Amino acid sequence: MTDARPESADRTPTSNPVLRRALTLGGIVAAVLLVVSAVLGFVFAGAEGLAGALVGTAMAVVFMGITAASILIANRFSSSDLFVGAFFGIVLGGWLLKFVVFIVLVVLLRDATWLDTTVLFLSLVAGVIASLAVDVIVITKSRMPHVSDVELPAAPSDD
Amino acid sequence: MDATTVLAEINGNIATVGYGLAAIGPAIGVGIVVGKTIEGVARQPELAGRLQVLMWIGIAFTEALAFIGIATYFIFV
Repeated sequence: MTDARPESADRTPTSNPVLRRALTLGGIVAAVLLVVSAVLGFVFAGAEGLAGALVGTAMAVVFMGITAASILIANRFSSSDLFVGAFFGIVLGGWLLKFVVFIVLVVLLRDATWLDTTVLFLSLVAGVIASLAVDVIVITKSRMPHVSDVELPAAPSDD
Repeated sequence: MDATTVLAEINGNIATVGYGLAAIGPAIGVGIVVGKTIEGVARQPELAGRLQVLMWIGIAFTEALAFIGIATYFIFV
């Protein structure tokens, strides 16, 4: 099968800088949220609340970040002929694995006595909402070229 | 005990059904998001980057509900 596209073109999708920035900004917001929820958890539920807040926020941020990370990993195969298959395999496979791990964690932590599950739930919800807010802010502020596979002046790096 | 009561009897926690529902919804949602992205990229491969970002935000919003739904296991007895 012949490929009509020019050989010299860089086929890396233009989404990479946006996703990378979302992960970076998400990490910063997560650090802030971790401190806030840990303090609130400790104030309202003691040491168990502190542990629950830390675990809940970490779970939310890590599991929400895995999607962007899996797209970034999958885009490394952009020059491959099997890119489409590899891309959706990696992204959706990562998604499935993430949910299996999440459900296992929830079942394991449900009966744990060293953390407060209510605080864990609340900080998990807060982490999920904060992560969504970061994603939306990054996307609305992003500037992306319309094309991925032609030679253009260097794309804005956002760094 | 009459027959209706015996037939309708279930054991265990009814909240378990909710966790199943929390998994079905996002599965359908992500399936639609990804399927439409494949359609879009097939029509216009040069838009792959932009479509990837839209797919990513779509997946993020869809899975957010799943995380919250499954995590209610922590608070619902």
